[in-house]
Amino acid sequence: MKVKMSKFLTDQKSHLKKIVDDLSKEFKYVSILAVDTKGKAYGVTRTGYNLGDSMWTERGFVVRAYNGINYSEYSFNQIDPNNLDELVSKIKNEFESSTAVLKAAKLNQNGYPVIEETALKDAFYSDVDIHPSEVTSKEKINRLTGLMEEALSYSDKLVDFRCNYEEVVISKMFISTKKELEQAYIWSQGFLLAIVRDEDKSKFYYDSFAGLKGVELMDELKSVTKDIVDGALKLLDAERIEPGEYDIICAPDVSGLIAHEAFGHGVEMDMFVKNRARAYEYLQKPVGSNLVSMHDGAKAAYNVSSYLFDDEGTLGSDTKVINEGILQTGISDVLSALKLGTTPTGNGKRESYERKAYSRMTSTFFTGGQDKLEDMIASIDKGYLLEGVMSGMEDPKNWGIQCMLIQGKEIIDGKLTGKIVSPVIMTGYVPDVLNSIDMVSEDVKIYGSGTCGKGHKEWVKTADGGPFIKAKGRLG
Amino acid sequence: MITLLKEILNNMTIDGWHIDERKIHAKELFYIRQDIDMSRSKDVHNFEVTLYKDFEEEGTKYKGSSVTKIAPTMSKEEITEAFDDAAYAATFVKNPFYPLLDGQKEDHIQMTSALDEKALEAWLPDFTEALFKSDIPSANALNSAELFLNKNFIHILNSKGLDVSYENYSINLEFITNWSGEKEEVELYKDMNFSDYAPELIVEEVASMIAFCKERAEATPTPALNDFNVLLTGEPVKTFFNYHIAQSNVRSVYEQISTFKIDDKIQGDDIVGDKLNITLDPTLKNSTFSKPYDLDGLKLIKTKIIEDGILKHYWGNSRFSHYMSIEPIGNIRNLVVDPGSKSIEEMKAQPYLELVEFSDFQMDQLTGDFAGEIRLGRYFDGTTLKPVTSGSLSGNIKDVQKEFYLSKETHQENNYLGPKTLQLKVNIAGN
Repeated sequence: MKVKMSKFLTDQKSHLKKIVDDLSKEFKYVSILAVDTKGKAYGVTRTGYNLGDSMWTERGFVVRAYNGINYSEYSFNQIDPNNLDELVSKIKNEFESSTAVLKAAKLNQNGYPVIEETALKDAFYSDVDIHPSEVTSKEKINRLTGLMEEALSYSDKLVDFRCNYEEVVISKMFISTKKELEQAYIWSQGFLLAIVRDEDKSKFYYDSFAGLKGVELMDELKSVTKDIVDGALKLLDAERIEPGEYDIICAPDVSGLIAHEAFGHGVEMDMFVKNRARAYEYLQKPVGSNLVSMHDGAKAAYNVSSYLFDDEGTLGSDTKVINEGILQTGISDVLSALKLGTTPTGNGKRESYERKAYSRMTSTFFTGGQDKLEDMIASIDKGYLLEGVMSGMEDPKNWGIQCMLIQGKEIIDGKLTGKIVSPVIMTGYVPDVLNSIDMVSEDVKIYGSGTCGKGHKEWVKTADGGPFIKAKGRLG
Repeated sequence: MITLLKEILNNMTIDGWHIDERKIHAKELFYIRQDIDMSRSKDVHNFEVTLYKDFEEEGTKYKGSSVTKIAPTMSKEEITEAFDDAAYAATFVKNPFYPLLDGQKEDHIQMTSALDEKALEAWLPDFTEALFKSDIPSANALNSAELFLNKNFIHILNSKGLDVSYENYSINLEFITNWSGEKEEVELYKDMNFSDYAPELIVEEVASMIAFCKERAEATPTPALNDFNVLLTGEPVKTFFNYHIAQSNVRSVYEQISTFKIDDKIQGDDIVGDKLNITLDPTLKNSTFSKPYDLDGLKLIKTKIIEDGILKHYWGNSRFSHYMSIEPIGNIRNLVVDPGSKSIEEMKAQPYLELVEFSDFQMDQLTGDFAGEIRLGRYFDGTTLKPVTSGSLSGNIKDVQKEFYLSKETHQENNYLGPKTLQLKVNIAGN
C-alpha cells in the first residue's frame, strides 16, 4: 500500500509558498521544511501496558533564510492562513532582533555564500505491505501480549519480558524559491527484551527489528522469543573478561557499531568545517586494510533512514566512504558543503523541525567479503565472537572508539567453547582496528532500530550494519 | 486551545483526562571558534493529553490510558479523532486501577532567575562573553560551541480539578576544546546544563577543559592495572549514583527490576568505606530539573531517600506509589549526595589513577555494570605523576560498594550536588 502525504501539509502548501515568496523579497535565500509525523508506540510488560503517540510525533515548520552574512532559522508550529502577513512579520522580526543584538555586541560572524539551487519538483511515497491503519491497536497489543506470555513460560528466572513495537508515519514538504519536494514514508521497529535474575545477579538480552515497513514487521518478532530468553539465561553464567588485546570476530550488529562510531561520525563533514575530524587529513589515504569498504547514504540501503530528500531539500545519495581501505570522501549537509566547496550528499538531518540540521548518517555499513564465519572462527587460537550492542561513542578528532557490548563468546583453538564473558567494552584506535581486519564474511545485515546522537543530543534515526569481520581489539 | 480540549474531553465517555501544556521560546547560537556560524529562534506550543477509561474484569478494577500529542494547528475534527482513538485504546490497556491526583487551581509560579531581567536575545552577548573569556584564540583552544537559551512554560491540569503551572529557564551549552601538543592535536567535549546566569561557572569550565586538553595532548597510553586505586572525578561520579537512583524508583521496585527494599542496607553488610546519604531536592539552585510539580502535578518536597546506606524512601510517580501503597514523593530529578570522609589529598596519598574525562562513562541501572573509555587520566605510580589516555575502566557496583570513599570536597553538575571524587578499586584495561 502506498503511503499517503499528510492532508495537513498538502492544505498548507500554498501558504508555505506565499511565506517563501514574501520573505524572498528581503532575503536572498529562503526555504521552509514542513513536517507532519504521526506515530504510535505499544509496550507490553509483565506488570502493565503502555500505548500512546510515538516520541517522534511532531507537526511544525522551520524557515531558513540568508541574512546577508550567514543563515538564520526560525522553528514554529502555529500558522494562521488568514493572517500570513503577521507570521511573515514575526519571522522577519525574529531574524532581525537576533542579528541586531549580535551586531551591537560586535560579535564576529562566519560568512557563507548564498545557496544556489537548481529547479526541482519531485515526490516519494513509500510502499508498505500493511499500513498501520489496517490493524487495530487492540490487535497489536494482543500480539505483543501473546509474545510476552509465550516467553514468560520458558523460565521462572525471567523477571520480565518486554515487548515494544512502534510505527511512525512521516510526511515532509520542502519549499524554496526553486524547489518543491514532498515525501511520505513509514518506518516501524520492534524490541524484545528479556530480564532475568538469579539471586542478586540480573542480566538482560534483546533482539530488535526495524525497516521501512508497516505492521508486517510484527511477523519478524514471532520467531525469536525463545532465543532471547536463552540468550539472557546464558548471561547469568557469564564471567568478567580478563582485560587485554584479543583476536575478535564482530557479529554484524557490532560491525555496524564500528562502522557508525569509528568512521561514520568521523566523516560527517560539519566536523571537517570545524577542524574536528582527523579523517579530513586522510582523504585518499589508507585508513584500513584493503578488505574494508564502507557506504553511507539514504540510497545506499533501504532502511529507516531511506528518503528522497533530507531536511535541507537535498536529494539522498549513496556515498562510498571507504573503498578497499582508502578513505574516499565524507557525508555532508548543505552548509558544510558550501563552506568546503563540495557537493552536498543529502545527509542534512534534524532531530525535529525544532532543531538545527547537521551532517548525519543514514544507512552506514561495511560491505561483504568472501570468507565463511566457520573459517573465521577456525582461524583463532584464543579470542572472542562479540555480539549485542549496548552503546557506542565517537571521537572524530582522535579516532578513539568505545563500544559497549553485551557479550563475548570465547573461542579457543578454533572452536567456540560455550563460555561467555559479559559485559564487554571494546576500545582502541580506529585505524588500528580497521587495519587489523583480515577476514570478512559474505552476507551483510543492516539494523535500523537504533537512534544516533551527535555528542549527547540531536537524536535521529539511523541504520548500520555489515558482515562478520575478524580483527584485533582491546577488550575490558 | 485548552478550552477547546476541555470541551471535547468533557463531552466524551471517559473516566478522566490529564493535559500537559508546554510552550518554549528559545534563542540559539552556534559558534565555530569565536565566530557566530548560525543563529536560530524557536516558538513552539505543544499539548500532551492522556485519556483514561476505568473497567472491571473478573472482579478486578483496571485503569486504561492512552497518551496523544496535540499540535496547535490541529482542527477540532482532528483533535476529536485523536481523542476517540486514544479513548478506544484505553479500553484494552489493562493496568491495575489507580486514582488521579485531586487538586485545584494554584497560583502560577515564576521560578526566579536572573534571566527574567531582559529579553532572551539580549542575553546572547553575555553568555558569549563568558564562553570566550577563558579561550586562548591564538591556540584555537575553543574549537566550537552551541548555546541554547530556553524559556519554558509548563501547565498541568486534570479532570479532578488540578490546575498548576510554572515557568523556568533551561540553558544548554555544549563546547569543544582543542589543543595541539608536541605529539598530536586533541579535543575534549563538554555538555553543560543550568538554569540561571552564572558566568563564572562557564568561565571556569572552559578554562578547566582547555587545561584538560593540554594534558591529554601530552598523555601516554593508560597502563593495564588490576584492582587498583581509581579516583573518579566530576561527571562520572554523578553517573555512578544513577544505579542507586534507578533502583530506589518505585516503578522499578513494583516491576521487580529493582530488589531494593525499605530499610535495606543497599551497600550490603560490613561496609568498610563511606555510607551513602542521598537526598532528592526539587529546589536545587541552577538545576534544569528544579521544579515545583512533577508531571502528575504533584507538589514536590525535598526528601532524603538513602540515609547511612539504608533505603528510607522509594521515589516516583503517583501511579506506581499507589500500587506500592506508599505516599508519593513524585519524580524529583535533583540528586544531593552528602560529602564523604576523605579529602582528595588523602585519596592521593597512595598510588592512584585519577580519571577525569571519559568518552561516555556508563552505569547500567539494572545490572550495576559500569564502564567507559578513558580520554584523560592522571596516573601516579608512587613516584611520578603523568597524564594518560585510552584504555578503559570496567566493574560492577556490587563488587565495589562496600569499600568506596567519597571526597569531602563537593561540586555541582546541573542536577547533582555532591562529592567531587569517588575512590574505588577496579581493573583497568590498558597497554
